[in-house]
Amino acid sequence: MLMSRFFIHNVFILFILAHVVFADPVQRFPKPDFESGYERPILQTPDPRALTLEYLDVFVLVAALSLASYFALRKRSRRHIFVLMVFSLIYFGFWRKGCICSIGSVQNVVYALFSHAYAIPLTVVAFFAVPLIFTLFFGRTFCAAVCPLGAAQDVVVLKPIALPGWLNQMLGIIPYLYLALSVLFAATGAGFLICRYDPFVGFFRFGASFNLILFGAFMLLLGTVVARPYCRFLCPYGVLLNWMSRLSRKHLSITPSDCINCRLCEASCPFDAINKPVEAELHEKREKSIRRLSFYLVLTPVIILASGWGGSLLHIPLSRSHFSVRLAKEIKLQDEGKLRLATDETDAFRASGKSTSELYAEARDIQRRFKVGGWIFGGFLGLVFSLKLISLSVFRKQEIYEADRGDCYSCGRCFSYCPVGKEGVDLEKLKEKAEDKAKFG
Amino acid sequence: MAEKTRREFLKSGANTAAALAVGGVAGLAIGIADRGKLVWQLDPELCIQCEKCATNCVLPESAVKCVHSYSMCGYCDLCSGYLEPGAKSRDTGAENQLCPTGAIQRTFIEDPYFEYQIDKELCIGCGKCVKGCGAFGNGSLYLQVQHDRCLNCNECAIARACPAQAYKRVPAETPYILRGEEAGRYAASI
Amino acid sequence: MNDKKDMNTRELFYVLAKRAVIISAIFASIMAILLIANFIQTQSVDPLNSKALNQLLQSLQENPQDEVLKEQIRALDLLARKAYFTHQWQIRTGGLLLFISVLVLLISLKYISSLQAQLPNFDDSKKENPWETRLLARRFIIYAGLGLFVLAFVLGVFSRNELGEPRKKDKVTFATSKELKENWPTFRGPEGIGHAYHTNVPTTWNGATGENITWKVVVPKSGLNSPIIWKKKIYMAGADEESREVYCYDADSGDLLWTKEVNNIPGSPNEVPDVTEDTGYAAPTMATDGERVFAIYANGDLISFDLEGNRLWAKNLGLPDNHYGHSSSLFTFKEKLLVQYDTNEKKQLFAFHTVSGEQIYATPRDDVQISWASPVLVNTGARDEIILNSNPFVISYNPDNGQELWRVKCMDAEVGPSVAYADGWIYAVNEYAVLAGIKLEGTPQTVWEYEDDLSEASSPVATKDFLFLASSYGTVTCFDAKSGEVYWMHEYDEGFYSSPIVVGDKVFVMDRDGVVHIFKAAKEFEAVADNELGEKSDTIPAFMHNRIYIRGEDHLFCIGK
Repeated sequence: MLMSRFFIHNVFILFILAHVVFADPVQRFPKPDFESGYERPILQTPDPRALTLEYLDVFVLVAALSLASYFALRKRSRRHIFVLMVFSLIYFGFWRKGCICSIGSVQNVVYALFSHAYAIPLTVVAFFAVPLIFTLFFGRTFCAAVCPLGAAQDVVVLKPIALPGWLNQMLGIIPYLYLALSVLFAATGAGFLICRYDPFVGFFRFGASFNLILFGAFMLLLGTVVARPYCRFLCPYGVLLNWMSRLSRKHLSITPSDCINCRLCEASCPFDAINKPVEAELHEKREKSIRRLSFYLVLTPVIILASGWGGSLLHIPLSRSHFSVRLAKEIKLQDEGKLRLATDETDAFRASGKSTSELYAEARDIQRRFKVGGWIFGGFLGLVFSLKLISLSVFRKQEIYEADRGDCYSCGRCFSYCPVGKEGVDLEKLKEKAEDKAKFG
Repeated sequence: MAEKTRREFLKSGANTAAALAVGGVAGLAIGIADRGKLVWQLDPELCIQCEKCATNCVLPESAVKCVHSYSMCGYCDLCSGYLEPGAKSRDTGAENQLCPTGAIQRTFIEDPYFEYQIDKELCIGCGKCVKGCGAFGNGSLYLQVQHDRCLNCNECAIARACPAQAYKRVPAETPYILRGEEAGRYAASI
Repeated sequence: MNDKKDMNTRELFYVLAKRAVIISAIFASIMAILLIANFIQTQSVDPLNSKALNQLLQSLQENPQDEVLKEQIRALDLLARKAYFTHQWQIRTGGLLLFISVLVLLISLKYISSLQAQLPNFDDSKKENPWETRLLARRFIIYAGLGLFVLAFVLGVFSRNELGEPRKKDKVTFATSKELKENWPTFRGPEGIGHAYHTNVPTTWNGATGENITWKVVVPKSGLNSPIIWKKKIYMAGADEESREVYCYDADSGDLLWTKEVNNIPGSPNEVPDVTEDTGYAAPTMATDGERVFAIYANGDLISFDLEGNRLWAKNLGLPDNHYGHSSSLFTFKEKLLVQYDTNEKKQLFAFHTVSGEQIYATPRDDVQISWASPVLVNTGARDEIILNSNPFVISYNPDNGQELWRVKCMDAEVGPSVAYADGWIYAVNEYAVLAGIKLEGTPQTVWEYEDDLSEASSPVATKDFLFLASSYGTVTCFDAKSGEVYWMHEYDEGFYSSPIVVGDKVFVMDRDGVVHIFKAAKEFEAVADNELGEKSDTIPAFMHNRIYIRGEDHLFCIGK
């Protein structure tokens, strides 16, 4: 007993004297033998959400997509779509707290393809692929009523304004940039950008950093007048959906039969996704148009190469987003005596006993990946810019009012504006509308 | 009419190609996919108790909390995880407690042993006690992500902030990285 | 009639919705403001880390018996915790209330706007000209693209890669082993085995009278490390509790060419390491590879300078938990600086890149006890080996990658002496253990052992035929190197911490009083001379330029003819 008190006393002194020591599990004190019959409590380790519930999520996703496609293409009912959208908002948003979502799953897929250390869960693959497949068949019905981010913005649309066409086109480039950057980050293991800057997930979880909440609130406020700003000008998954939707087998149509060019639906789309008839006549000389088009066509490889080079130039600043590169830099500066301050990161590294050359090799490898990735990133953006320019130089005749296959979210807002019934013009429907209007001006 | 069918044909081909592309990417991913589920957990051996777990979780109250491997605990009277360094007396007075929220309950068992229990309602996951226990004690106190609270975000915000890179995705069947005899709980399935 | 009733209800709902809009909007703004205020408040004051509480705790340290103070602390602590959890509750509740009010606001607004549905308006004046739109879009997209490109260019060109380009191995220059043998680059001379290759040195001198003393200079800070020499420059380290220095002396004149402070090292602890007087703060001898010099100190500071004293790199290996003080000397091998870094917590053999200081390997050696000996390089003809003496194993490592080559269990207690090597044999010794003759051929194993007059600090030295061992009791024993047979044993008045050095056919060994005893390396004991330095010393003399350089307690002596 005396001995143990002495021991404890010594430890007590040590306790006061000692400085920073990293915790290592060391059995410093023997395991006691209890005489009073005391039983050690059991450590409680609550289980994570069951796997079956994850599969339920996939089931709900497929069911919601099927219903959304049915409502948009067959039933042609905005009301049904709206109800389903609110359900998705509650289920995928507030109940499942916005994770995992299809938008973010792009990164998981890329990360899994480039990192051997990560085995992507099957459910995440499903969240990535199923909406794309559905879009290939029915258009972007995922955006209409399944995506919780889209739903959160859709419910706040109050007085949408039409943006100038050029602005729409220009801002429409951002999602490509965001997608390319997110893929680059995921492929190099630098992190998941899309999740990091998801503006709405903070609302779903009732908690996020202050800045993110601010960003989310701004997006929702903006969303009252500029409908679905995230979907249109940020969403990286939207890029993929856009491509799939352009090639889709079926797609929502504004009118159930033939368009009569009545112009009623002209301003009905808050997302500027209705293609209006364009007069056939040219506003400039045909030669000029052709010259411009060929110029852009010839320039395309040059643009791709130049922007690829630009992207590769960025590999040093971009690689700093990776933890290991940042750490290697700090360690290096410390060793050179240029940085005196030790950070938690450098302390942890030094305590880990890993060799600096290993760290530097890893960091350089990541930089190299960013260099290769930078070329692809830049080249891709160059291609996007070129294609955009080319598509803006091509004259395409448009005779009827039609949903833009790429941009239309299949929300069904335009249905009620169309006076045409399945069998042609529905006079009854027109009359009803007029009366309704007269009743309550 | 001929032109229309040609366009239809081209479109249908493109559609099939796109479907194959999506299927291909998904198939590649499925090839390396895990049938199960992954959850976030922190490796206590790498943890440096920087206190970032307490503040970086997306939840206002962090999903990371202190756990106690009783099998490793020395049941010390002078518990360096419970008492402030330099505490003048060994009692439950607030001036002696290391825990900022008083989440550790100290109970007398038998001379000279005391039991320490974590009140998870009060624990904020700062790891002050972990630091104390690891530096001078047996290291039976350590931090773990509590899966009844964790939302399993796609990119864990704490993992991103962790200076020791102690966070990793672990299979949901073995969702904790425990110490002592408690570790055996998941040993069979690993 | 029905229509009218319908109208009235709708009007009523309209008014209600309008009111709901106003009320919920006001409520939501109040909630938002409250939440933001709450956020700002907790940003500025963290209730769990309050200044007032910390101050009270501080004063309690000074008055541990103050019961009133304790009560104050407890009250304040309770308050702080309440504040913390209330804040958590406020955020949760506030957030929920804000959410509900926004929801009500939204629903009412939607309802109102649904009542105010307007027929499409065909105002063609607002209609965009598609050609104009395309022109503008093309223009702005080109601007945006060019802008992005310029941004990328500027960012890319002006960002420096702090990691630098990968180092090129072939660019590292270092002395050849021939050059190393022409100099005195490490503890106990070239390869650390106690053999001097400059044999034409004086055998008589007297530090007190000045006989044969070419020059003698005061060394600013003390240190038990021995001088190392590269060409005409002598390097030594000195340190005390507060600071650490490296000195460079001119070998001909004894002029102090430069002094460099060892400071501003990241991770260098503020704590002063616990050392005994016998070890001090600068016990390890420096090392040079002919291009750079390296020094390590008791607090774990490791630093590199070029020969002119320009600092190359520095790092701290962590304050060592070493109850005597760190004493293992440095060693260079090709482009590597080898550091035996044994502490009570962790035992490791490090290799750092001599140019960059990058760690090349860190071989753990946790199955041995902490050792105070130094690395010795052995070239068996087949390969290079770095041999470390420790309890209970003598372990050999491949210096290229730090992989263990072999180990022999023969040591015990707290190991101080480094091993001796000659002709394919290793000799390891320690007080309270044994003197072991280990034959390296085939599987290295102990061939003979001896148990008397063992040394605790002084390392043995071997030739092809003989092994010489000096002990702290003042004995010098000569063995047959291959059989362990004792040829002779001579007792001096003073004990030995310094190690014997073989210089041609003679052996030089300095006792703790600074007297260098010289005797023949032969089967029979034959004294050559005993020379006084005039001050105490435990370092190893350096033999070069036909001179002997000895670091005494206070001075550096140059002994020449």
